Amino acid sequence: MAGFLRENSRPAFLSIALHGLIVVALLFATDFSLHRANLGEQPVPIDATVVDSRVVRAAIDERNNAARSAAQARLAAAAQAAARQQQLQAQQQQLAQQERLAQQQLQAQHQQLARQQAAAAEHAQAIADARVAREASTRAAAAAARTALARHAAEAHAQRRAAAATAKRAAEAKALAAARARAAMQTDLQRQVAAEEHADEVARGPLADEYRAALQNRIIQAWIKPPAAHPGIDCLVQVSQVPGGEVTSARVTQCNGDSAVRQSIQNAVYRASPLPTPPDPSLFHRTLILEFKPNE
Amino acid sequence: MNEKSRPFALALLLLAGLAACASPAHAAFVVQITRGQDTAIPIAIVPFAAPPGASPFDVAGLVAQDLDGSGRFKSMDRRDMIDLPHSGAEISFDDWRRLNDDYIVVGGMTMPAPDRYDIAFELYNVLTRQRLLGYQIHTDTAGLRLAGHQIADKVFQSILGIRGAFATRVAYVLVLGHVPHRTFQLVVADADGANPHVVMQSSQPLMSPAWSPDGKELAYVSFEDKLPSIYVQVLKTGARRVVSATAGVNQAPAWSPDGRKLAVTLSNRAGNLDIYILDLATHALTRVTHNPGIDTEPQWSNDGKSLYFTSDRDGGPQIFQVPLAPGSRPRRLTFQGSYNARPRLSPDGSQLALVTRVHGKFRIATFDLQHHGGLRVLTHGRFDESPSYAPNGAEIIYATHAAGRGVLALVSTDGRVQQTLISPQGDVEEPVWGPFGSE
Repeated sequence: MAGFLRENSRPAFLSIALHGLIVVALLFATDFSLHRANLGEQPVPIDATVVDSRVVRAAIDERNNAARSAAQARLAAAAQAAARQQQLQAQQQQLAQQERLAQQQLQAQHQQLARQQAAAAEHAQAIADARVAREASTRAAAAAARTALARHAAEAHAQRRAAAATAKRAAEAKALAAARARAAMQTDLQRQVAAEEHADEVARGPLADEYRAALQNRIIQAWIKPPAAHPGIDCLVQVSQVPGGEVTSARVTQCNGDSAVRQSIQNAVYRASPLPTPPDPSLFHRTLILEFKPNE
Repeated sequence: MNEKSRPFALALLLLAGLAACASPAHAAFVVQITRGQDTAIPIAIVPFAAPPGASPFDVAGLVAQDLDGSGRFKSMDRRDMIDLPHSGAEISFDDWRRLNDDYIVVGGMTMPAPDRYDIAFELYNVLTRQRLLGYQIHTDTAGLRLAGHQIADKVFQSILGIRGAFATRVAYVLVLGHVPHRTFQLVVADADGANPHVVMQSSQPLMSPAWSPDGKELAYVSFEDKLPSIYVQVLKTGARRVVSATAGVNQAPAWSPDGRKLAVTLSNRAGNLDIYILDLATHALTRVTHNPGIDTEPQWSNDGKSLYFTSDRDGGPQIFQVPLAPGSRPRRLTFQGSYNARPRLSPDGSQLALVTRVHGKFRIATFDLQHHGGLRVLTHGRFDESPSYAPNGAEIIYATHAAGRGVLALVSTDGRVQQTLISPQGDVEEPVWGPFGSE
């Protein structure tokens, strides 16, 4: 039953609603008839004649009885009619129900059929879809494969190209570097030659004398001459300096003096650090040769 | 690089190499230095680590005093020291260089036993960071002064190339009191005047002390018998003997380099003074000069083959030299000024120290024997007399007058540094510097 209701909820609801409607209609119909009866039996106050009360009563009773009977008859008829109606209605209902059921069955059949058809269609569609999908997938796969292939090919190509380009660039760079190195060497040589020419020029000029004098003064001030540094002493010291004049080493290379003379010379150079900077940069030499040759 | 460019590159490399090889010689910028400074060398003598509780003697302080006294060093004031290292590992060279020290001496003293001291010291060149010296001296309390002088000697020699003479001694005559109550003392003291010992005392004049070459004996003239006699005294024992007591003058003894003879000044009967050579073993006398003038104050040449002496044969006193070969004639050396006397030969034999008179004042001068370069006056006193070379030739000790007294004074051979030594009392006369080994 529940399952049926669930399955046919709409017809069941309609049926129940219809039955309810009928009952209500019946109730209202009864009521209306009663009201109508009451309204129709209201006495008319004009033309009243006094009569014997019993007669009247009897008459009234009679009339009332008649009315009551009529009413009862009417009620019975009505009940009968209602019953008939009810019966009819029930029959109709039954018929409707049957029809409904039949319709439902038909509908169900239709639905079933539709479902079946839909399923079939769906199946067909599914098959079709599957086929399409398969085909699409196949196509996609093929496409992907093609794409991959193409990509690989492209990549390989790109790589080859890149490698080729790199190799080419490397070769070019190498060639360029070699060319530059050659050019640099040439430039260096040229520059060196030019610098030396300039240096030669400056070295012979007054700036060199100025620089030499500045160095002499600084070192004379710094040399604390030991007693053994008498005339006849001749010592060469190789001085390494950095731009700015700071002495990084002082090496006595040749000396006919004793260790005290050598040490005093070495100390003089360190004490003179930083050495004066040359008036012309070309006069700067990382290595200077100082000759200590006391004449007094 | 392809095969074609390779020879080109090689050629370039070769060229570059040649250029690199050639450039130093080409670039050599030679600067000649013909002069220097005579200034003192800055040195830091860091106070030595002392044994706990005991501070017997400031050895480092004495080293600094010696070096400063030589005039060739200027030791750093201790108050300026920012650090007190006691060993080479503790020296922060950059700091000491910033403080303008060229050298630094560090050391420490330990006491291995009562009255025993071990002194360890090191000398470093601050500029080159080289360790120049490292020594240990073992001594006792009485020897701490000598140890200080010995350290100063080592430092002096290491830096200047000249043996230090701080650990030597001097002898001089000290005259106490006034005529007629005078006392004459023969004193031997450390070269800095400290630690004086009286080796001979007399109420009569003592004169002309002279060190034997080995520093073990002193010859001197004593008037203790009212007449002058020449004595030789052994310093260690005090034993002495008369070596010359001829009639008349016995004066100015001078030891031969081998220590076997004395050159002396004797007078003949006429009172004429001439120079003789006395053989100490045989007492034989050999006359060297034969001149009616005064010939005195002999001094041996280093080879022992000639004598320098003072003579007034040409008028005023001048310096002469005479070979000891028979028949040789003296040769006059000094011609500058009217008074040149008391010649003393420098240890290297290159010059004489003498007393010269300049504008009526007696001063110490040197005379260049090798180049006959004339006199070089070193001192500035009024009565500077009796010069005597330190055995290293770096300084000359002499007697001068200060505040009315005769005192000891020192001048460096180059005349740059002069100092007057502490003299306790009396008048100092005729100082003579002992040889190395006279300690």
